Amino acid sequence: MPEVTVPIGPHHPALKEPVNFKVIADGEKIVRLEIDLSYNHRGIEKAAEQRDFIRVLPLLERVCGICSHSHSTAFAKGIEEIMQVDLPPRALYIRTIIAELERMHSHLLWLGVAAHEIGFNTLFMWTWRDREVVQDTLEEMSGNRVHYGMNEVGGVRCDLAPHQVAAALERLPHLEERIARYVEMVNDQQTLLLRFKGVGKLTREEVLKYGAVGPTARASGVDYDVRRDDPYLAYGDIPWNVVTDTNGDVYGRTCVRIGELRESAGIVRYCLENLPEGPVRVNAPKTAPEGEIFSRYEAPRGELAHFIRTNGTNKVERVDIRTPTLANWTSVAMCLVNQNLADIPVIVAAIDPCLSCTSRITLISSPGGKPGVVTFDELRKRSRIRYEGRWP
Amino acid sequence: MTSPLALDFVMEKMKEYGTVEQVRQNRIRITTTPGNVFNAIKDVLGPIGCDRLVTISTVDNGTTFGLIYNFIGPHRTVVSVAIEIPRENPEVMSMSGLLPPAGIYERQIHDLFGIVFLGHPGLKRIILNEDWPPDEFPLRKDWKKNPDTNYGGVKEGWS
Repeated sequence: MPEVTVPIGPHHPALKEPVNFKVIADGEKIVRLEIDLSYNHRGIEKAAEQRDFIRVLPLLERVCGICSHSHSTAFAKGIEEIMQVDLPPRALYIRTIIAELERMHSHLLWLGVAAHEIGFNTLFMWTWRDREVVQDTLEEMSGNRVHYGMNEVGGVRCDLAPHQVAAALERLPHLEERIARYVEMVNDQQTLLLRFKGVGKLTREEVLKYGAVGPTARASGVDYDVRRDDPYLAYGDIPWNVVTDTNGDVYGRTCVRIGELRESAGIVRYCLENLPEGPVRVNAPKTAPEGEIFSRYEAPRGELAHFIRTNGTNKVERVDIRTPTLANWTSVAMCLVNQNLADIPVIVAAIDPCLSCTSRITLISSPGGKPGVVTFDELRKRSRIRYEGRWP
Repeated sequence: MTSPLALDFVMEKMKEYGTVEQVRQNRIRITTTPGNVFNAIKDVLGPIGCDRLVTISTVDNGTTFGLIYNFIGPHRTVVSVAIEIPRENPEVMSMSGLLPPAGIYERQIHDLFGIVFLGHPGLKRIILNEDWPPDEFPLRKDWKKNPDTNYGGVKEGWS
């Protein structure tokens, strides 16, 4: 049978964000595929060079909607190291709490999406309901559900009051109980086992060869975790374990993520119960001396790396962001070969792709030629003119 | 997990390629030349014991472009191999044959900086949209938006 090219995306029901795959298939089997990521480029690295440190943090937080705290922490801890600012322990603990809550909400979201891709919508509804508990905690601590804005160069923006700590601790037992239920489910739920086992397999050697990161790598027995290997924030003081698995398939990645949910809940509990007293920020200088730093951070999807170079001013010379999804694409392209076409959504979803993170630059130009923000009224006006030919 | 790399050990193995320095705990940097980079990376993967490429960081230094290949291994030490390539003739050998994950990073750098990786099997556009002008590289320091150029998206007068 001749080979057929099947285009998938950029708009496709199984994809949550725009990406285009050119899948070359022989019958039902995938021969190879090409990836095009160019639908979401927003120019963040270029824009970061033009903002001072106070303004660059909110911008970097918007690299990604799910791991927003990851990007701002990776940048802030790099800049603080160049400035040689030591953070008070309370600030480090609060950053850690937010980071682990973020990991929990990201993994619960992923579990729902993966269940949805295999048509198991009950699990999707359950995990997204439980995720709301995490989101409520985050909102109560920071005031926001998505972009928490907790980081500042030199500490965190707001302190945790005793009643916020108590409210968070009160929510934890429910979450821990639900996570225990998912641990049980992943072992005996036939729907999950049938669609996850043996799908998208990567051996340990392949993971190392193709450079996969995060839960994708740990599911194949590669125990890289920046939180332990290059400790930052408060991870050095907290008792926790790196979760690994030996299955190497989508099932293994599910087990790792559920295990990490349990570990994250433990870290959050430890931090809340042992929150040190003291200030939550120090006054950091406005400018950073000339320097270069390679700041690593374990985001929910894997290792995130910010390469930062400063030039003695209050702006960065260069921020080079390597997101975990970009590192994982090569391994996805490899493990899809010889799989069924119908397994594409679940294999792609298994790395938890985050495309807005991965492609970051484009220019917005309005019809007048001026770049800028389009207001809601302007948008409405344009759509009316486009579809009805008149305004108002 | 093995013990972190010692500077002396790396210096002994890598001194023929250029300067070796410890920039901070867990970070070792080797500065070499574009001609030596392939052999240096081969040695980083061999005797130094690194098993994965974290990323290729790129900077615009004005007259040159800096490329920094960051590696990690079971010793949990980041080993960086830094080179500088001239701005007039931004060409360097591709590492995609030796290291498959380098392929996607090189495509990204080619898109944004216009650096040509010789021997790359498919140096095609990946990050920028298809109607972006082929001779403009937005992350270069001297790049300015040209008001007469269409950078893609909705065209003026289109409805």
